[in-house]
Amino acid sequence: MMRENSESVGHSRREVLQFAAASAVASAVGLALPGGLSAASGSLRSAGVLAFSPNNVLFVGDITGAKIHAFALRDKDLTSQIDVISGNFHNFEGRDHVVGLDQKLAALLGTTIDKIVVNDMAVHQPTQQIFLSVERGRGTNAVPAIVKVNHGRLEILDLDSIPHSQVSLPNQPDSKAMLEFEPQQVYAITDLEYYNGELFVSGITNQRFASTLYRIPYPFNSKMATCTVEIWHPVHGEFETRAPIIRHVIRELNGTPYLFAVYGCTPLVRFPVAALKDGAHVHGDVIGELGYGANPLDMLTFTSPADSKDYLLVTIDTRSASQIAVSDLASAPPQATGGGIDFGPGGLGRTQRALPIKAEHIAILNSKWAVLIWRHPKTTYRLDLSTLALPYFFERKDGMSEMNWPNGPDPFEYGKHRSELSNQ
Amino acid sequence: MSSPVKCQPTLRVNSGAFPHGPGSVSACGLDPELVAVLASTTQPSDLLKSVFRVIVAAVPSPDGDGLPDMSGRYILYDDEVRFIPTFPLDTDVKYRVIFDARPLGFLRTEEPLMLEFLIPSDQKASALTEVTHIFPSSDLLPENLLRFYVCFSNSMHRGRALDEIALFDSGGRRVEDALYRPPVELWDRSMRHLTVLLDPGRLKRRVGPNMKLGPPLKASQSYTLEIGSGMIDVRGRPLRERSRKRFLVGDPVREEISVESWEVLPPVTGSRQPLAIMFKRPLDWALLSQAITISSAEGSTVGGQVVVDQSEKRWSFTPTSPWTAGMYHVCVGAGLEDVCGNSIVGAFDRPFRKNHQPATQTNSSSLIFELI
Repeated sequence: MMRENSESVGHSRREVLQFAAASAVASAVGLALPGGLSAASGSLRSAGVLAFSPNNVLFVGDITGAKIHAFALRDKDLTSQIDVISGNFHNFEGRDHVVGLDQKLAALLGTTIDKIVVNDMAVHQPTQQIFLSVERGRGTNAVPAIVKVNHGRLEILDLDSIPHSQVSLPNQPDSKAMLEFEPQQVYAITDLEYYNGELFVSGITNQRFASTLYRIPYPFNSKMATCTVEIWHPVHGEFETRAPIIRHVIRELNGTPYLFAVYGCTPLVRFPVAALKDGAHVHGDVIGELGYGANPLDMLTFTSPADSKDYLLVTIDTRSASQIAVSDLASAPPQATGGGIDFGPGGLGRTQRALPIKAEHIAILNSKWAVLIWRHPKTTYRLDLSTLALPYFFERKDGMSEMNWPNGPDPFEYGKHRSELSNQ
Repeated sequence: MSSPVKCQPTLRVNSGAFPHGPGSVSACGLDPELVAVLASTTQPSDLLKSVFRVIVAAVPSPDGDGLPDMSGRYILYDDEVRFIPTFPLDTDVKYRVIFDARPLGFLRTEEPLMLEFLIPSDQKASALTEVTHIFPSSDLLPENLLRFYVCFSNSMHRGRALDEIALFDSGGRRVEDALYRPPVELWDRSMRHLTVLLDPGRLKRRVGPNMKLGPPLKASQSYTLEIGSGMIDVRGRPLRERSRKRFLVGDPVREEISVESWEVLPPVTGSRQPLAIMFKRPLDWALLSQAITISSAEGSTVGGQVVVDQSEKRWSFTPTSPWTAGMYHVCVGAGLEDVCGNSIVGAFDRPFRKNHQPATQTNSSSLIFELI
């Protein structure tokens, strides 16, 4: 399962991050389109973060509509991709599932690549089918779509025909409310995860303590717990209550469920799920400072096929991804609060391992492979959807090394395994 | 020569672009056999996916494999199949529509039909181009009509006339080989006026095509000239709608233009009233705007504006300066023709006789009128 990029309102959150200084997105906010939406968009007004529940429900964050949608996928909406070859695992050679993803999305949605925004990617684990949340257009008239990958081909998920329920999020930021560089609404829904019969949704509201976590039972009923969250931000040397959680995951450690959250610039924070009660103002423990000036893109956990241990992975826009052992997450002591500005890294940030991942979106495909949306350095004019072997996230064919020479050294026995392709 | 009973479908863009409506694309006039096959198939969309395709023309192809077609569904109505895109047609995107039923064995054309179009987002340009006029204006045209002029509200692109412009008989059947297929489309400099010739080889008596096929039009029959909406304007857009001119065919005209028969209606001296000249029969709209000039007795040309109206039977000239008293010459260029190509020098299709002397020896003709 997988998190990603929240967003909508015409500009991808990631874009906003990248071009914050020059941001002029105010004009793009607000007044969403009524007409023109297609049947395939169903009740979606925008397509942001995605998450699956174990029973085939696809959740979609819809910032423009200020809703979380639940689409109960039927068997016919899913196609097993277990037989799709992911690459040569032993030799760290992934494969492209979709070459020119943005070009193909543009063709399928009837537009040009400059109008294609991929906001999130999620993998339906039982079938290993990849789902993308996409928007056609970057203005108020953007049209949302959920696209799935079927043996390398892109297919539109016909949302109108799928059993659907939705829940509205209260106290959404005013569409005209601005941060210094961008509309507040961009961060209204930053992430969502299904855990044990509930959806955990992060984002900001128009409340005094803006950074908000919602606990929403699924199937949806009238209940919802809303709490505000506060952290000590070491790089900024202050307590903060408004900047939102960008990504979160929920994991049980020693029998206790925790929500681990990562913020911009880049604290890693731990909240006991039990503390997230309706009306509570919850203080999170900062257990790592992953490095200043960084924006987290994705956060996930995976089990290493090398040592069978679980790791937390945070991909970051400006630098290498961070890997932290999950076993350290529960035991890490909270960072001291109330000190001065500390550019870090601190706590688990000091022992994080840098991984060579440069992906716009990443998700775990299966026990051996991750899948990522990225621009290959040699083909930056297009987005590709490719696999990357766990646990090193290393793609051998992209590099120059002594081992690539004819009759070169072969310390990793690449030659012996050269023709081994696998789907798992 | 093509079979006269060939079923030739046409492609059409149904207006309505995002956000005003989803828009759709139709293939009309389908072969009845194809319609029957599609109607009897449980999943006609599966067949149509490979036959009737809408693709984005501007997206570059990625390395290796091809791009998907635009997502959409198909609806069958009588002899029309309509493609409804899953996502509304976008603005400023060039689409290509391809209809090729040859793999199914139903279309007797050699080339697949293709239509490209673009709907601009520019609101000021949102008025789609249309056919503003088709000349000759009269709905009664001689059997040996030589040409039509099709006028558009914007400049156009070349390349669509052959597919989009056709003549139909009163039963709605396409009249084959009536319109001449020139190697280059005959546009004027502004690209807003297209000359559509009837096949001169069928007009001229006793030459091969005429002897084999007869004249392109038959007297006492009615016809429709149709300009399909797939004509593409300079912005890459299709026309707002197709345009039709219905007309009845009368007797042929095979004689030179008789300038002497024209009626000159002089203006009032000192006024800027138009000088009007009435013709006995319609003359060529395009040539009229240039072929007639007015000069003074001293030979200087009088400046002014020309208007051609009354079904090209009246030529009016409004001078830039008021008329002054004196003699004026109405100079008629030798290039002036009527709608059948008959000129002031001779008929377009006149009997060839030995020692025949043209009726008019000079290359031009003139009339004189005097203002007092």
